[in-house]
Amino acid sequence: MQYALLAYAPVEDTDRAARPVPGTLATVLAQPNVTGWARLHADESATTLRNDDGRMLLTDGPFIDSKEYLAGLILIEAGNLDGALAIAGELLLETRPGTAIEVRPILDGRFRGA
Amino acid sequence: MALDAVFRDQWGRVLAILAGLLGDIELAEDAAAEAFAIAAERWPRDGEPANPAGWLITTARNRAIDQLRRQQVLAAKTQLLARDIEAAPRAPEGHMDDAATIPDERLELIFACCHPALALEAQVALTLRTLGGLSTDEIALAFLVPFETMSKRLTRAKHKIRDAGIPLAVPPEHQLPDRLAGVLTVVYLIFNQGWGGGRVDLAAQAIHLGRALAGLMPDEPEVLALLALMLLHDARKAARLRDGQVVRLDDQDRDLWDTQLIDEGRALLQRAIGRKRTGPYLVQAAIADLHLYQPRDWRQIAALYEALARQTGSPVVEMNRAIAVAEIDGPDAGLAILERLDLDHYRYFHSTRADLLRRAGRPSEAYDAYRRALDLAQTEPEQRFLQDRLAETLNSRLAGGC
Repeated sequence: MQYALLAYAPVEDTDRAARPVPGTLATVLAQPNVTGWARLHADESATTLRNDDGRMLLTDGPFIDSKEYLAGLILIEAGNLDGALAIAGELLLETRPGTAIEVRPILDGRFRGA
Repeated sequence: MALDAVFRDQWGRVLAILAGLLGDIELAEDAAAEAFAIAAERWPRDGEPANPAGWLITTARNRAIDQLRRQQVLAAKTQLLARDIEAAPRAPEGHMDDAATIPDERLELIFACCHPALALEAQVALTLRTLGGLSTDEIALAFLVPFETMSKRLTRAKHKIRDAGIPLAVPPEHQLPDRLAGVLTVVYLIFNQGWGGGRVDLAAQAIHLGRALAGLMPDEPEVLALLALMLLHDARKAARLRDGQVVRLDDQDRDLWDTQLIDEGRALLQRAIGRKRTGPYLVQAAIADLHLYQPRDWRQIAALYEALARQTGSPVVEMNRAIAVAEIDGPDAGLAILERLDLDHYRYFHSTRADLLRRAGRPSEAYDAYRRALDLAQTEPEQRFLQDRLAETLNSRLAGGC
């Protein structure tokens, strides 16, 4: 099965874009069962689009207003939920304290290598 | 065997096999329900088949294929299933008689139902539905929630198992202790829900599950210990109520205790101890056993509660230790332990405290504590017991002039 891991991270002081992916995290991301991943710019860069009776409404900022922000999206292949949770657990160990990972089964999709 | 008893006995096994075969608990449940309905119609007329489980599984499997064929969207799955059946030896309905050839896959099912990715209340409901064979109605009644709520809870849980890919499998060795603890929590929760209630016999359901687990995992000391614990409690069931009122252990009529259940519980406890690995259920079962002796060995009971408190960090365990300490060193020593506990929401905390205050000669405070316990009491037998204690305390307070 395919799973999407949504990584929610606590806000940080330093510029996220200037910091490279830590080596230990890169090792996990390089595993064959990780089929794709995307590291996202911080919340401030987000624009949310809504359809208000045919009118496109733009808001500055993320859709979900929370202490944590969506920091990354990782696509993985696993035999079942236990397998997916094991990979998510490995990733979680390599992220900053306070990070949470939501595991979602993928219904269908198309992924191209970046 | 009466049809109801056969059904109750076979439901979990039949459902587990079908769930494994179909990879979908909801489909399996529909097919099993259909097979059981057909059996209810035919067996009284044609006689019970030699191998009821085999008959039910074959029939349910055929129904599932029919249903899948009707739903063309699931064509791929049907092929898989048809292949599976062709590969298996042909077993026409009513002609399976070798019970030993049917594997027992209930463990796989119970580990899926008690997966930590499901909410605890969903785990409990699903376990009762799939392994216990209770109807949605009965589960709703037992947990005092509307039928609609329970129905949604069950459907959502079944869908999550299917969609999120929760495996119908026994976890690997390194995950087993944690996952097994989760399963045992669900079973013991069902037992405790049944202990005070009496709406649906949940205690009997929990024991039924406990027996199944002990049969499937005969080498796990905590599984044996949980069953022992439940049996040692359940053995006193008939003596626990008199005239609709709760009876304290020391006041219970021991002739009403079920000695067969006590013997079985003690034998299981010995087997668990023999495995040389301890755990919270083993300690609790040992305590339950000590409580059955007269006079009670309060020192040993207090020591075991202390060990259990270290293992679990539970304030309720500390409260029980306080009761034992009060028996050894007097009510004030017990009260000193209670003062440190944050259990204001817990009804037995207030009745325990009230009892110790009464024995310490502080009837005014005892009265207030009994009142608080009565406010929190959930069943009528408990309420009646507390009302009597309240009246006694009031009398002694008046007599004492304070």
